[in-house]
Amino acid sequence: MNLFRSEEHITRWLEGRTPGATISVTTLCDLAHQWWSDRLDPDWQPHTRAENQTILDTLGLVGSFWTLP
Amino acid sequence: MDDVDLAIRGLTYAWFVEHGEAPTAQELAAHAHHPVAEIRAAWWRLHEDHALVLLPGSGEIQMANPFSALPTPYKVEAGGRSWYGSCAWDALGICAALRVDGTITTTCPDCDDPIEVAVRNHAPDDPTLLFHCLVPAAHWWDDIAFT
Repeated sequence: MNLFRSEEHITRWLEGRTPGATISVTTLCDLAHQWWSDRLDPDWQPHTRAENQTILDTLGLVGSFWTLP
Repeated sequence: MDDVDLAIRGLTYAWFVEHGEAPTAQELAAHAHHPVAEIRAAWWRLHEDHALVLLPGSGEIQMANPFSALPTPYKVEAGGRSWYGSCAWDALGICAALRVDGTITTTCPDCDDPIEVAVRNHAPDDPTLLFHCLVPAAHWWDDIAFT
């Protein structure tokens, strides 16, 4: 789960491995905010699978790659 | 996850925030006035529930996501303090969890060029950067350290 300057860098880094998914750092910031922002809350409870899947879905991270187990 | 485990989890995270690094089981036991065996047992249950990650073999903390106990390529600076995230997502997650603006410094995994991204109000200052996730979501916890 790394940051890159461009698709060219990702392709070189993969060295022929099957690519995963690439998203903008702006979408990643939104994802990080929704996924982690409650992590230090005094009344924190674990997210359910459905809650986490909803976070992914609402950001357009859909399809088999983004489907949680 | 019962109230005792949640309380020990909360103390673990608070230590990370305050000290910038993970507590050892001994340190947290002394801090919390709990037997160290109770700390280790709670950490193991939290590990099993994916609420934190223990170092294989040692029983000490490897990650309390988004915080990493070990130095990583993803350093986060915020408010004059610093932490490590396990990956780019976690690094940004540290700013989100702390609810502060911050700066993530790393290097390109391909060419080793430095990359710095400042986050202000949940938005990056360089929106051209890309994030690549190699492992599908269904397998993130198969080997979370690799993921």
